[in-house]
Amino acid sequence: MLDNGRISSVQLLMLLFTIEVVTASLYVPPRYAQLAGPGSWIAGSIIPAFYGLLVIAVVLALARRFPSQAFTDYLPEILGKIPGKLLAAAYALMFVHFGSVILNEGSSLIRITIFTQTPGVVLDVVWVVLAVYGAYLGIEVIARENQLVLPFYLFSLVVILGLAAHYIDFNNLRPVFESGLLPMARAGFIASAWRGELFLLLMLYPYLNQKHEDVKTLLLLAGFTLVASAAILLVILGVFGDLVMAHLIFPYFILAQYISLFNFIERLETLVIIIWVGGVAIKLAVFIHSSAIAAAGALGLKSYRVTLLPIAVIVVILSRVLYDTFLKLFDFLIYTWPTYAAIVELVIPALVLLIAVIRSKGGGRLENRSDS
Amino acid sequence: MAMFHWLLNLFGRNRQASGPLKKPYPVEPEQEDRLLSKKLDDNKQVLGEIFDHCEDLVTREIRIGKQGSTRALAVFFDPLVNHEALEESVTEPLQTIQAPTSGITMEWLMEEAVPNARVLMYNRWVDVAGEITKGLVALFVDGQDRALLLTAKEDIDRPVMMPQTESVARGSLDAFNENGRLNLALVRKRLHTTRLAVESIDIGEIGKTRIYIVYLKGIVYEGLVEEIKARLSRIRIDGIMASGQIEEMIQDAPYSPISGIGTTERPDRVVSALLQGKAALIFDGTPFSLIIPSTLATDMQSPEDYYHRYWFSTFMRLIRWGAFLIALLAPAFYVAVTTFHQDLIPTDFLMSILASRNGVPFPGMVEAIIMVLAFEVLQEAGIRLPKPFGQTIGVVGAILIGQVAVSAGLVSPVVVVTISLTAIASYTISSLGLSTGIRALRIFFIIAAGIMGLFGVMVMFTMVTFQACALRSFGIPYLAPFAPLSLGDLKDTFVRVPIWAMKMRPRLQGYVEPVKQDDNKPKPPKPRE
Repeated sequence: MLDNGRISSVQLLMLLFTIEVVTASLYVPPRYAQLAGPGSWIAGSIIPAFYGLLVIAVVLALARRFPSQAFTDYLPEILGKIPGKLLAAAYALMFVHFGSVILNEGSSLIRITIFTQTPGVVLDVVWVVLAVYGAYLGIEVIARENQLVLPFYLFSLVVILGLAAHYIDFNNLRPVFESGLLPMARAGFIASAWRGELFLLLMLYPYLNQKHEDVKTLLLLAGFTLVASAAILLVILGVFGDLVMAHLIFPYFILAQYISLFNFIERLETLVIIIWVGGVAIKLAVFIHSSAIAAAGALGLKSYRVTLLPIAVIVVILSRVLYDTFLKLFDFLIYTWPTYAAIVELVIPALVLLIAVIRSKGGGRLENRSDS
Repeated sequence: MAMFHWLLNLFGRNRQASGPLKKPYPVEPEQEDRLLSKKLDDNKQVLGEIFDHCEDLVTREIRIGKQGSTRALAVFFDPLVNHEALEESVTEPLQTIQAPTSGITMEWLMEEAVPNARVLMYNRWVDVAGEITKGLVALFVDGQDRALLLTAKEDIDRPVMMPQTESVARGSLDAFNENGRLNLALVRKRLHTTRLAVESIDIGEIGKTRIYIVYLKGIVYEGLVEEIKARLSRIRIDGIMASGQIEEMIQDAPYSPISGIGTTERPDRVVSALLQGKAALIFDGTPFSLIIPSTLATDMQSPEDYYHRYWFSTFMRLIRWGAFLIALLAPAFYVAVTTFHQDLIPTDFLMSILASRNGVPFPGMVEAIIMVLAFEVLQEAGIRLPKPFGQTIGVVGAILIGQVAVSAGLVSPVVVVTISLTAIASYTISSLGLSTGIRALRIFFIIAAGIMGLFGVMVMFTMVTFQACALRSFGIPYLAPFAPLSLGDLKDTFVRVPIWAMKMRPRLQGYVEPVKQDDNKPKPPKPRE
């Protein structure tokens, strides 16, 4: 393995939670409201939860066959040398692209809300330097950093949702199935793209040091993300109602802004921004790390660190070229991203798993592999 | 930081040290492989060669026994030897004793003639000369090819005094000083057990400073002592003056602002660290011992926390963590808010800030940096200044910074408040290493805030925490038990639970013998009525 870090199952749980939740709540909830109306909190939390379980099943079945290797490292074994390497390279590029989307999500919020005059590329570069530093230090350090940041995120979540709960009008939550089931499913499909990001487990599984706890960890993860996303959407929807929510840009951010108690507890959106910096940096660091591992594996390099610099440059360039305006990003996130994500997160791993089963590749048995 | 190795290579900083550390001096004891001769005169001649140009060396000829038949020579360094003790324990007994008729042997001398408690006997010049330089008295006897080394040391050390940098209101009040033997005694005094292991190593090719590695057998975690010994024995240097030099040479990350090694002059702190499964280095020549490893959590602890009521200690811990954040972030926060996020300030207060900043020629960042640097200058001057001038600096500093700078319109009062708060807050941190690290980082945070506001502060903070997360000290992550999280060990971080509730040692260091105590929760007897 190129990175010989070790992460515990708690760290894995926290890392995947950050990856799935921190950015998901900020961008697309308006689209849920447009599609599913008052039922959008169900669409945005429960439907993706099922999708998440599906991804967990596929990813885990695949990862357990090759417990000490990263996804891109065992692809050649399953698919044959050339197709495997090609798919691994494709995944490396895909991680880079994911990275650029995350980076752009990060800088767009800052640019739209506080630094309206700052060129996006400046924010992008700062963030990418941060993430590359994290990726350079290795997965273990990213996981630890996340253990520092996530409690703050949860704290801010509880504070913001708790204080905003005061404004909830429960009439906003009815009628739940106003829009019909199909629009809800479409909204759920969009939300699923974020939930499915736990497919990153394919790249993180070899670092897990308590592999016997993997099922428990991932089920807990599914539960926590379900609760967190349901709570966020419920409060946003309850406070604003689906009509307002459908027209907000960053409903969670606006929610924090909306809170004002005793003329003293206000401007809580600062908390959102502060956590945002750390959360995006960690998420980006994980993706850059995975992309570096994948690239180094596909190219047969001895160290993944040499690939970090080119990856960082490409991430920034892609972020600037593909999503130079916020509308392009939003358009991508609600129209292209769900299908694209479903293919790379679920369909391709499922096909690979199928091939692996047919060709009976991989150790498979949990007892037979080395945990060290 | 390892990223920049190639850069350092470019400048030739990483060159391997080549060649011996010192040129072979003709009569340096290390190069000496001669043995002592039976003839006193020969020995005398060799002494003259070895201790060439050492005018403080005294060679005193005596005759052993009342008859005065055997010649002997007492050799010692005058400044290191107490003359009264020497007379009492060496010269007088030797001159008055009745020598046996069978002739004088070294064994007889050792067993019957010399009343000293600790006597060494050597026959190689290396050892003899080495011990003489340490302050022992060498006794050469005619017809014997061995020398006795006797202790008659002059007391040139301070007595045990109060701690200078880590004072407490409740708890023991003795501190280490410059005498390694005494430092060791202060630890032994608190741990009456054979499990207290003491190993020593001499560091410095010329200076040969003695360092004691102290740990508790069966409690210290695996591999720690071996690793410390390996790192210490790698050091080849001419001499060391203080523990800080060793700290820099054995820390895990050479470029990190925080070393992961604790410094203390309090024996009780060393003892509690030993009980947690750590090791300590106790030095001859400096009162500051090293505790290995140390983490952020232990850097934030004060020994006093365990001596006060736990409610109060928890409160103080929380205050201290708050002060830690203030010391690190307050100036940066001030700069960020006044420069970028004026909307975060309530309007009325913003008005008064603006009014007070009216006419200040600098932007917020420069203003804050000036004040921080002015404070650092004051602090540095306060330490360096000869004692009698101490008051002057206080008065001048207070007037200069508190009053005149504001009324002259150089800085605004708000920044003075911020920096003063920062300065005071930084004194709540009991660890010197951590507080100096914070002082250095503070400036970077201010610059980050001046460039990108709160976003910059957070970016900087993430950068610093990334680095801190990567930092390990002798196998223990610096941010344990926060990252990696171990819930059980949080009992002694932000809060300090009652002593009886700390049943287990810290998981990462104390796993060899995890249980620290039985259930000691006080259970009062049932009232009879």
